[in-house]
Amino acid sequence: MMEPFIQVENLSYAYEEEGARRPVLRDLSFAVEKGEYVAILGHNGSGKSTLAKLLNLILTPDSGKIVIAGREITDPNLTEDELYEVRRRMGMVFQNPDNQLVATVVEEDVAFGPENLGVPSEEIRQRVDEALALVGMQKYARHEPHRLSGGQKQRIAIAGIIAMLPDCIIFDESTAMLDPMGRRDVLRIMDNLNRERGITVLTITHYMNEAARADRVLVLNDGELYMQGTPAEIFSHPDELAAIGLDVPQCTDLVHQLRAAGIAVEGDCLTPAQCADAICAACAARGIPFNPPQS
Amino acid sequence: MSSITLGQYFPGNSLLHRLDPRFKIVLAILYITASFLCKNIWSFAALAISAVVLVLVSRIPVSIVLRGLRPILFIMLFTVVLNIFLTRGETLLVEFWVIRIYLEGILTAVSMVLRITVIIVGTGMFLTYTTTPIALTDGIERLLSPLKVFHLPVHEFAMMMTIALRFIPLLIEETEKIMAAQKARGADFSTGSLLQRAKALIPILVPLFVSAFRRADELAVAMECRCYRGGEGRTRMTVLHATAADWLMLAAVILFGASLVLINRFAPGFTL
Amino acid sequence: MNTLQLEHISYLYSAGTPYEMRALDNVSLTIRGGTVTGLIGHTGSGKSTLVQLLNGLNRPTEGRVLMDGVDIWEKPKEIARLRYRVGLVMQYPEYQLFEETVRADIAYGPKNMGLSPEEVEARVLEAAAFAGISPEMLDQSPFDLSGGQKRRAAIAGIMAMRPEVLVLDEPAAGLDPQGRDEILGGIRAYREKSGSTVIIVSHSMEDMARYCDELIVMADAKLFMQGSCEEIFSHPEELAAVGLDVPQITRVAQLLRKRGLALPESIYTVEQAAAALCRLMGGEGE
Repeated sequence: MMEPFIQVENLSYAYEEEGARRPVLRDLSFAVEKGEYVAILGHNGSGKSTLAKLLNLILTPDSGKIVIAGREITDPNLTEDELYEVRRRMGMVFQNPDNQLVATVVEEDVAFGPENLGVPSEEIRQRVDEALALVGMQKYARHEPHRLSGGQKQRIAIAGIIAMLPDCIIFDESTAMLDPMGRRDVLRIMDNLNRERGITVLTITHYMNEAARADRVLVLNDGELYMQGTPAEIFSHPDELAAIGLDVPQCTDLVHQLRAAGIAVEGDCLTPAQCADAICAACAARGIPFNPPQS
Repeated sequence: MSSITLGQYFPGNSLLHRLDPRFKIVLAILYITASFLCKNIWSFAALAISAVVLVLVSRIPVSIVLRGLRPILFIMLFTVVLNIFLTRGETLLVEFWVIRIYLEGILTAVSMVLRITVIIVGTGMFLTYTTTPIALTDGIERLLSPLKVFHLPVHEFAMMMTIALRFIPLLIEETEKIMAAQKARGADFSTGSLLQRAKALIPILVPLFVSAFRRADELAVAMECRCYRGGEGRTRMTVLHATAADWLMLAAVILFGASLVLINRFAPGFTL
Repeated sequence: MNTLQLEHISYLYSAGTPYEMRALDNVSLTIRGGTVTGLIGHTGSGKSTLVQLLNGLNRPTEGRVLMDGVDIWEKPKEIARLRYRVGLVMQYPEYQLFEETVRADIAYGPKNMGLSPEEVEARVLEAAAFAGISPEMLDQSPFDLSGGQKRRAAIAGIMAMRPEVLVLDEPAAGLDPQGRDEILGGIRAYREKSGSTVIIVSHSMEDMARYCDELIVMADAKLFMQGSCEEIFSHPEELAAVGLDVPQITRVAQLLRKRGLALPESIYTVEQAAAALCRLMGGEGE
């Protein structure tokens, strides 16, 4: 058995606030495999963003251990070069696209990361072109970011991370400020990066539908790991989720309501298609007639 | 929604647009220096012609260039009036009540106006109209990079410029939004005494500062996440290469300066 | 009462410059008094421009905005008074907080209205209650509150003006499910108490379906559709074409109808779907 890509053990972190220490993360342990797609759920202030910033050493934990690709990054003897290597491997995309773009020309911004890494000029050019193609923004290479839509800006931010050739990308509520179209584009890119490029994806979100796309869900509550499992497992506990200020996708909610009314519906029901399949199966079992519309 | 463009960059692909920004900065400095070499009416004429040639080469519409001169119109008028009425010379043209206008006054006024115009047009054609702010910043950084030897924070200065250019439109937009939000709560920015109006600014300034600091904070984290560690060990995607055109243009401007000196010496008359 | 009408409204940004942009193009619509109306549309569809026209922050380039039949720009000098009647909560309103205490911040609007100190205080307390701001929070600095609390304090600042029409631009953006429910619940409480008209802009079709009576769909600066949730959400293809969506539950119902289950067309909340399926499948309850 290979060791996991990210291994977090007994991680704790507290903010200093007016002399008092306010714990944000408490004794948190979990692991993420290489190439996994993991969603992190939790209410506002549950410690999700802090966790993200600990994973690439923007913050230093008070206690506990983080191992990434076999190297303990919480090791006090970590060299500066190793620190930047961690940040390169663990790319991060934030919520507000405006506050993460540095340059006034799209391609210059995408080049920012590789330039910092000291990549040779010709290779930067190549990486920038590839990254922009991957997010479908080649046409905008010479545009000014501030004239683009939120979704487009966020795609530029993602391209800027891709150009650093990361192993893992952490999305910190990266869809929260986008309209449905922008969100759809960003989610498609996330899927794509994970499925086709094998990039490990950690996504922090408030949208249950987005968490349902992941391989696995971690639920945080007040800095502690509250639940973890596949989306199907997690969303089969609507009451526990409601108790900590979360909910379940509408599809799952419907199936729970039907079950509560005594109608047995089998299956996971995370997406409309799964949900429709499960309900049709239940209807067939009850001998309810189907009259498909003639078109 | 807002459509604020910083500077006066006018997109195009003329010879001037394509020059290396480092050369353009040097060219602009040389050209302005040359304008101070003019001593008589012939060299001034040469200077005026050169400015027209520059505008033609840049392919920027004359109307746009003239619009760029509008803000300094007042200063020019002021200079003209001052020079015409106050310069004392030998050739008296008009004498009326206390007013005495001399030929020298008129000539000085014309030369001043021409000089100001050339400085504005020159910097405009070489720099602001034909060079994007980012290329300009880049040019400055690379021109000054030898100064790093003396531990001058050249890279940091250029980075600051870049970030300022990126965030100024955002902050202007933000100011508009905050003003709208406070107006929706009945804020009044346009009436009342000076003190009242100054006080009315607090509901704009406090949120604006809070927001600017938040943005700065988030941007700093995002930059760290993208492995930013200052100028050390940094490479660049675009490498500036001086082309034959850059060197030729440099030679042309130097020759132009030299010819002005020659004109001063050998073309007689109307020394200013 | 509190009926807003737009008549052939057009709005141009930077008119007469190369950057001229038509943000609204000949929009005519009526928002009936006392309803909760949802306003949806892709980024740049003209929604934000439209809400700023409703309270006179923007003046239409062409056309008229009528409140109860009166042109709001009839007396331009009195436009400030209209802003108290049509309260606008802008996007991310927490960024407009500036006072030293939450109490003072909520009081900013009522004070500008020239109310007596007692009246201001009464309104602050009333609005705080609607928005779920506890009395202890009133004496804290707004900058010490959590994100959701800041948002609620900012909304209270508008509610304290007791507007007859409350307009909110994405009131729940970026909040977790509980934070979202608290805010939308507070808006509902304000409406029930005051009988005011409410207009909500949102990207969440699910929230719209749960809270709105009527929907207005904007696309490319034009009015695209207007009608009840039922009418609007029965056009999934048209909505998708302008970058919008239907609630997830509506898509489930559509899939089931396509497979041949006899379900009504008008399903846009989970409760409706569960009730319809219970009837069909003979479950207990509902």
